[in-house]
Amino acid sequence: MKNHIIITYILLIVLTIISGLISGVEDNGIPFVILLLSVLKFIGVSFYFMDLKKAHIFWKSAIFCYLSVLVIVVLII
Amino acid sequence: MSVRQIDTKNIYYPPGGILMWIIIFLELITFGMGIVAMINCGKQEPGLFHESRLLLNPVYGVVNTIILLTSGFCMAISVYYLKKSNKQKSKILILATMLFGVLFLIVKTIEYKVKIDIGQTINYNLFFTFYWLLTLFHVIHIIVGLVILGSVYFGLVKDKTSIEDVESSAAFWHMCDLIWLLIFPIIYLFF
Repeated sequence: MKNHIIITYILLIVLTIISGLISGVEDNGIPFVILLLSVLKFIGVSFYFMDLKKAHIFWKSAIFCYLSVLVIVVLII
Repeated sequence: MSVRQIDTKNIYYPPGGILMWIIIFLELITFGMGIVAMINCGKQEPGLFHESRLLLNPVYGVVNTIILLTSGFCMAISVYYLKKSNKQKSKILILATMLFGVLFLIVKTIEYKVKIDIGQTINYNLFFTFYWLLTLFHVIHIIVGLVILGSVYFGLVKDKTSIEDVESSAAFWHMCDLIWLLIFPIIYLFF
């Protein structure tokens, strides 16, 4: 379990640095890549730092529902 | 300190407790609505939001994200050690979590001071209204989180805190991470 937390932490840092680096690129698709990376980081923190992977399926689904609604609304706007 | 086995697979007992998760979802929905409102306004005035975004220094945002993720990592490991009955390491890691939380506030204060000195306050334009409202609201959560962690730390020192209390406070602290992971890319990188 400890290894999972360490690996998640390293991935989160890498994803954060990638987000920072690609934000300077002028391309219409970049905001959505940044959004996707944020969603991945969000899942990493909630499932591994908060131990949600051990929770009832309801709570896991609730997080995915929240993220889906947020991303869909942002894409519609 | 009481250590009792809780079946987290039970719908009523998510890690951190059901009441904490209700609070977490309410907070996430509140910040989510703020983010959607900001993006909606940004679509109506894309030039203004893009130029305003360029006035921010993303290095502050990236550094603060790394600081907050590191504090979340320390907290997660702290809970892990507490479950293994290693209270000493758990206490040290709670202190490390708080240290990174304070570091986050210091970096944020420096950023705020720079913004205030050059007049980019809440009234500067619509982008900065969102910037100040969302980040300050988040800072308030960090301060509340630090108070909770301090209380849990002293509870552990006096042996008056249960593992459920530590898990709940950890869930609150991670919620601050989650909120920041949503507002950081939108404010500093998106437009």
